[in-house]
Amino acid sequence: MVILEAKKITKRFPGVCALDQVDIAFEPGEVHCIVGENGAGKSTLIKCLTGVYTADEGDIFIEAQSVNKNRKLFEKIAYVPQEIDLFKNMSVAENLFIPFERAGIRGPISQKKLCEKAIPLLEGLGMTVAPETLVKDIPVSQQQLLQIARATAFEDYQVLMLDEPTTSLTDKDTEHLFGIVEKLKKEGKAVIFISHKLEEVFCIGDCISVFCNGKKVSYARLSEVDVPWVVAQMTGRSLDEKEEFSSAAVQDEVLLQVKDISGDDFSHVSFSLRKGEILGFAGLVGAGRSELMQAIFGYLPVYEGSVEFDGGPWKLGSTHSSVEKGMFYLPEERRSQGILSELSVRVNASINALNQLGGALGISSEKEKTLVGDVVRTYEIKTPDLEQKIKFLSGGNQQKAIIGRCMTATPKLLIFDEPTKGIDIGTKVDIYRLMKRIAEETGAGIILVSSEMDEVLKCSNRIIAMYNGQIAGEFERGADKEEIMQSIFGLTLEKEESPQ
Amino acid sequence: MNKSKSMIKTLLKSSTALAALVLVLMLIVASVFSPYFLDIFNLQSLLRDIAFIGMVAVAQSLLLLIGELDLSVGKIATLSGVLCGLMMTVVKINPFVSMILGLLVGTLFGCFNGLLITRLKLNSMVATIGMQSVYAGITLVITKGRAITGIPEQIYFLGKENLFSIPIPFYFAMLVLIGIVWFATKTKTGRYVYAIGNSREASEIIGIRVDTIRVLLYGIVGFISALAGILYVARLGTAQAAIGNNWPMNSIAACVIGGILLTGGVGTPVGAMIGAAIICLISNVIVLFGVNVYWQEAVSGIVVVLAIALPSLITILRGRKKQKGTSK
Repeated sequence: MVILEAKKITKRFPGVCALDQVDIAFEPGEVHCIVGENGAGKSTLIKCLTGVYTADEGDIFIEAQSVNKNRKLFEKIAYVPQEIDLFKNMSVAENLFIPFERAGIRGPISQKKLCEKAIPLLEGLGMTVAPETLVKDIPVSQQQLLQIARATAFEDYQVLMLDEPTTSLTDKDTEHLFGIVEKLKKEGKAVIFISHKLEEVFCIGDCISVFCNGKKVSYARLSEVDVPWVVAQMTGRSLDEKEEFSSAAVQDEVLLQVKDISGDDFSHVSFSLRKGEILGFAGLVGAGRSELMQAIFGYLPVYEGSVEFDGGPWKLGSTHSSVEKGMFYLPEERRSQGILSELSVRVNASINALNQLGGALGISSEKEKTLVGDVVRTYEIKTPDLEQKIKFLSGGNQQKAIIGRCMTATPKLLIFDEPTKGIDIGTKVDIYRLMKRIAEETGAGIILVSSEMDEVLKCSNRIIAMYNGQIAGEFERGADKEEIMQSIFGLTLEKEESPQ
Repeated sequence: MNKSKSMIKTLLKSSTALAALVLVLMLIVASVFSPYFLDIFNLQSLLRDIAFIGMVAVAQSLLLLIGELDLSVGKIATLSGVLCGLMMTVVKINPFVSMILGLLVGTLFGCFNGLLITRLKLNSMVATIGMQSVYAGITLVITKGRAITGIPEQIYFLGKENLFSIPIPFYFAMLVLIGIVWFATKTKTGRYVYAIGNSREASEIIGIRVDTIRVLLYGIVGFISALAGILYVARLGTAQAAIGNNWPMNSIAACVIGGILLTGGVGTPVGAMIGAAIICLISNVIVLFGVNVYWQEAVSGIVVVLAIALPSLITILRGRKKQKGTSK
């Protein structure tokens, strides 16, 4: 018996087909894992299955009824989002039962009664927090469990959807979570498990669907396949393994010298970068790499230490002066920090070059169009026209527009923070080639912050591993992947500290 | 047929064009249904009203474009007008020099608002609610509630006279509009205004001096509020505390009617002027249609709310239509 089924659903966004004719079915008492790279269509699928998006084509059935006729059916799907999404200043119990109408609580709300009602639910999930505690005061792992408790508090749900539930959990908490999943599975619920961590998938899952470029490329029972098979399916077309993206024109002259700087999320960091060099920063999410880069760029404070740039002392704390002097930061959060979403490609691409566009009466539209036309051609930005709002471009084209925007101002240093996040494989290679070209042709230094190990290995001349706000190791090109991995997990640091 | 349909569609997409359409329709209705509307004196008095609200609204639109607003515009106008009046009558400075000094003072008030908001990281609405009391309070202390009379007659023409049958303040309003539209579309800083309205974080990362520009915008708003206040003094022939009471709300409503989003980043100052025209037209027409005096405020309020709701209503309806389309 199938409880939730999608038939041939397609969802298009301007410039990209996020889901392409996807068929997928979920059965009760089964843990169905969904994997795929960033931008493969997982989150769009989830949003369609939970009713956030309406698919352009195709239909979704819950208990064999079409949701188009009855959208209330979506209530049978309990969704636990990846990000913590709780009311931080309300109590655990209140969080559990909102919306109160659906939880069957009528009349005035008594905190005491809520707590009494909450205790069995919390105990059922093995949670130790008191129901009257405010959510902001409980640890992240408990918040994550609370999200699950909340999703399952309404007893009419049939499907539990867990979106990357273990990213903020320790190993022990993960084990605990898996216990809960097993229990729910035995109760006959269908569990959808979305994760990047393949070992977890194999530990908890019964079957797996692999997504790539908006298509469901394969389905298998997990007992019949292994990790390499899944990886091969995920990456879809295999890349040209041999193509290298590191710079072939590293100069001797040092461009950036960071001396023992400390800030909120990093401490005592020193490193240097030469002209024409691509320096990779590897590390786990939360290792302090983005914060370090934003601090050097002047967006976040630096408390100690100094920086030299292009042969002179560097003024920290002003993004304006950084950009004036040729240092650019390309943020990871493209949507909120990179693009100006409601404005056109033209305005977005020319904003760093307005000084060059002066005409008799202020900015000359002619000059601007020529400049942006050049940018669009040089960086192969796919857009119907220059007046298209940039938010309608695909992530890859937005990223190219941001690169193009920086290049209008002859940069000396470009800091790329997760430049290929949410970008499809083909465009990723375009971005790698661009970085290499910029380093070689203009002699600019490039810092590449990435959580994708292969990306760092392929693109960097040198790699620095960060762990917990500190530099955990520095590697020349061609270093062993295992060794770098050990550094980013902090294993090398502990070894050094242990003799003391 | 098809062509005209698509034209209407593009018109409906741009809120500014939509507001312009509404304005034209209202003008037609007013001229058809009221014999007095096209009377030259009525039109002149209407233009004079539009000039004051319009000027302030166009300035206010710059702040709305970065997602902020200034509720002290009316009181900056009053205080600048009163100070200007004192300089003319008590200190006996040349009236035109006094006016320039008055404009300077207004600019300073605006910059002070801006510095307060950016340095102390205050919400613009709350901060300017407070500041408008401060400016109103200072005005009261200075005037002790009395109007300042004896304003030199040589400046009256700026508020009272017409040139080619059009009231002089309206020329000022057009100058302000042209200046600010040029600023918003053709200068670097104008571009940055839209960038800041879209994303403050992205603007910082692009290298824009966000706070400096914010202070500058408050300064511009102060300058234009003072201009409106001083012209109003010339119009009345006295400087008094009651000027500009409804300017903050009307200027913001005008911007919204003209398609400028309160969240920032979208819209054009032209919209603010059109919105101001709509608001003034509403009050004008209500009088002409002989609406009962006690009902006038309520009726004009209802019409303003309808005008504000129009763009969002259209978005909602469009969304419904789309959803119906996909579910079939």
